[in-house]
Amino acid sequence: MHFGATLRLLRVDAGVSLRALAQKIGVSSAYLSRVENGHDQAPTPDRLIAIARALDLPPTLLIDLAQRVSPFVARYLEDVPSASFLFLEIARRKLNAAQLARVHAFLDAEFPAWGAASAPAVPRLHELLTPERVILKLSCSYLGDAIDLAATRLAGAAPGLHATTLAAEIRERERESPTGVGHGVAVPHALVPELEPVAALVTLARPLHVPTPDDLPLQVLLVIVGGGRAPLEMLARAARLATPGTVAELCQATTPEAALARVRHVESEFG
Amino acid sequence: MAYLLHSPLCLLIAQLVVIIVTARVLGVLARKIHQPLVIAEVVAGILLGPSLLGLVAPDIKAALFPAASLGILGMLSQVGLILFMFLVGLEMDLGLLRGRGRASVLISHTSIVVPFLLGTGLAFYVYPTLMPEGVAFSSFTLFMGAAMSITAFPVLARILTERRLLRTKVGAVTITCAAVDDVTAWCILAFVVSIVRATALTEAVVTTVLAVGYTLGMLLLVRPFLARLAARNTGREGLTQNIVAVTFVLLFLSAWATELIGIHALFGAFLMGAIIPREGGFARILAEKLEDIVVIVLLPTFFALSGLRTQVGLLDTAEAWVQCALIILVACVGKFGGSYVAARVTGLGWRESAALGILMNTRGLMELIVLNIGLELGVISPTLFTMMVLMALVTTFMTTPILQVVYPPEALAKDLLEPPLADKRVTLPEGFSVLMCVALDRSGPGMAQLAGALVGKQTASDRLYGLQLHRPAERTSSLLEDEDAAESPSALEPLLARSRDHGLAVRPMSFVSREPARDICSVAEVKDVDLILLGWHKTLFGQAFLGGTVHDVLKNAQADVAVLVSRDLQAVRRVLVPFCGSPHGRVAVRLARRMAYAAGAEVTVLRIRFRNADAPHVDAFLADIAGDRVKVVEAVDDGNRATDLVVKAAQGHDLVVLGSAPLPIDQILSHCPASFLVVHHSERPGPVHRRPRPLTEPSTDATAHA
Repeated sequence: MHFGATLRLLRVDAGVSLRALAQKIGVSSAYLSRVENGHDQAPTPDRLIAIARALDLPPTLLIDLAQRVSPFVARYLEDVPSASFLFLEIARRKLNAAQLARVHAFLDAEFPAWGAASAPAVPRLHELLTPERVILKLSCSYLGDAIDLAATRLAGAAPGLHATTLAAEIRERERESPTGVGHGVAVPHALVPELEPVAALVTLARPLHVPTPDDLPLQVLLVIVGGGRAPLEMLARAARLATPGTVAELCQATTPEAALARVRHVESEFG
Repeated sequence: MAYLLHSPLCLLIAQLVVIIVTARVLGVLARKIHQPLVIAEVVAGILLGPSLLGLVAPDIKAALFPAASLGILGMLSQVGLILFMFLVGLEMDLGLLRGRGRASVLISHTSIVVPFLLGTGLAFYVYPTLMPEGVAFSSFTLFMGAAMSITAFPVLARILTERRLLRTKVGAVTITCAAVDDVTAWCILAFVVSIVRATALTEAVVTTVLAVGYTLGMLLLVRPFLARLAARNTGREGLTQNIVAVTFVLLFLSAWATELIGIHALFGAFLMGAIIPREGGFARILAEKLEDIVVIVLLPTFFALSGLRTQVGLLDTAEAWVQCALIILVACVGKFGGSYVAARVTGLGWRESAALGILMNTRGLMELIVLNIGLELGVISPTLFTMMVLMALVTTFMTTPILQVVYPPEALAKDLLEPPLADKRVTLPEGFSVLMCVALDRSGPGMAQLAGALVGKQTASDRLYGLQLHRPAERTSSLLEDEDAAESPSALEPLLARSRDHGLAVRPMSFVSREPARDICSVAEVKDVDLILLGWHKTLFGQAFLGGTVHDVLKNAQADVAVLVSRDLQAVRRVLVPFCGSPHGRVAVRLARRMAYAAGAEVTVLRIRFRNADAPHVDAFLADIAGDRVKVVEAVDDGNRATDLVVKAAQGHDLVVLGSAPLPIDQILSHCPASFLVVHHSERPGPVHRRPRPLTEPSTDATAHA
């Protein structure tokens, strides 16, 4: 995933200008622009927390996306050095997502967390998708065509939605600022707070050569309509699909169910 | 040496290696001097034979090609030839023979008759020295005639393709003539073979009768079966191995039958290839599967065998060389002269005529095949065989350089055929948009043709979409799936190619769909198209029209739907619209009028009145439609004669456009050979619904259901 592109995507949808955001977190807009274009490294955890506040996002999400160690963790490790040894043990065993889930379950059972165990405010990505809203092996020559087709599937999700109108909105947003998040993934969307969010997944048989942050052609589209309570968080989660492994597996999926299973797998990796 | 070649199999493999390597090395040289590969292969065979290797290193030749091993090599080359003749038949499109006008008929006939006569004439001169003993003079004469009139269709086709001549007038005429020539020459040859083999006259008659019966059987029984087999099994998934196996079994049975009858096995293979249906890539896929192994591995063995039989040493007298020169001269005069004069008579210029003549003079390996048959039958002597091989070599060799002189690329550039479809656009209401749904690649060209006719010269407001829906994969292995996808070109390709030819921009889309009908309708909706164009395909058993996916689309679409029954639709020039006043019929009339103005088609509306009933609103509608390009003809149906009326009126029309009701489409389709466009009118929601609305408007119930 291209962190800078994801950050720009979130910023544009939050309706915050580059300069305004830079001012809020106390950096130069030139620096922020370099980050968004991938010419500079992802910001430090403290700056990421400041950005998250400015965009009204959960800080951990941005830190996850930037692949940084959360300051909470860093502070904890300073206080309890022996915990660092435990992390080392986990790393040495190379535990995968499923095994980590078991560790997690053990922690939950043995040391229940205090409060804050409510259901997440944002639905998981795979809950936004259904097999009918997965289009596999699409080949077309324009991104607009792909968006139109996704819109036809999304239109069925709720009565009163019209594919043509949906497609027009999504294309308009795409024209404003492309939604590529790197590794051949784009998340074209139309955020409407009043609508419960729904998504359509499109895998492309022939990669589309459109401008993307890392110049890789598009292979997977996750088209999202609606918003719910935390639309930005949803987009940030969608950006997690942009890893080479996930993209390759999604493109090889021959049934919608297989593609959905892969999305669910990605979601489960992040707990 | 002896150790290396101790078993027959070792020997055979060593022979194959030597033969293939020699042919390929010489092939590279041939390419350098712009000669077809055939030349290299024939020369390679001669070099390996007694003419060179036998002279220079008799020991090596004796070790490598001992007389005892030639039987096995011979069988292998025969199998190769059977497969090769099948390929030749595949490449030969019998459709070429139809409707190519007076010029082709005259030229092709002349280019057979003249060399045939000259060949027989030559036979009179050479028979005292060159005719083997114990052969009837008539057989010898006929064989010489047939051998002279051969044209190498495969080599010709390759030269024409390489020099990009296929789309010129010369190229078109030549390829047709060559096809006619080859079919005729093979028939003559089959006849000659049967005569030579027959010991008595009655036997010859029986053979001929059997041969005719066999040919009819292939054309009338096997061909329709193959057409259905192909229609059923080509397209998205390519050919299954079972289908290929069935085809090969039929091929070998056919070759076997002809060999039993007494004409040559190669004739059966050729005929089998010629009747393989061309639609849908069946022939193309078969050819691709076969071509490499036959052309690279098996065919060179045949050349080597021919070379082993060619003994240039036999031409040891001045007289023999004179005869050889005479044979070459007669062959050229007959073929080149005959075609040149005929071409001039039909009105071609001298350059074109000369090009055509020199092309027809190419004999290539078809001549070699004929000669080997002759030698095996004992009709010609080894000496004459050698002379004729040299003749075949010389005539093929001279083609490219002479063509370069008489028909240089500059002349070629001027002659490239202008693309048809003149722009005779009259003002038409706004833009037009069509969604073309392709299931099988062979329906593509017809659709593109039709779209071209509907749109004419494409403007920014004319939108064309091509849609192909794949069935979800049944296999689970994603690896296999990917390989398949890479191998089989998209079914949209032919559609896009034909559209490019007509200067139309089509936006292609394809994806995996579980419910094709629903997806077609929703794509049509989101793209807001005026017309959905579907293809129609014959099923293997039964012919339910407008069933299945088509039916579902008709029921649910929010746009007009047209089903194209393309019977090789090449141009939309004359269009007939049988019309009874139904709403579907009205859309049909409007579409046809669009063709009239966009592409300059000549449109006739056949107004069918049922029992003379009066229908003032229909009259008014027609009065509005009729114009200088749309002619209205009246007909009265006094009881179930509508089918006959339409079938009769459809003669000479490229396309029949009609509404999906009330005319009996199934009947009309089965009685009429034209292409059809069956139009179905769907009530579209009013313009109010189609105006873009703000997304959030239906938020209340949308939230409730999400």
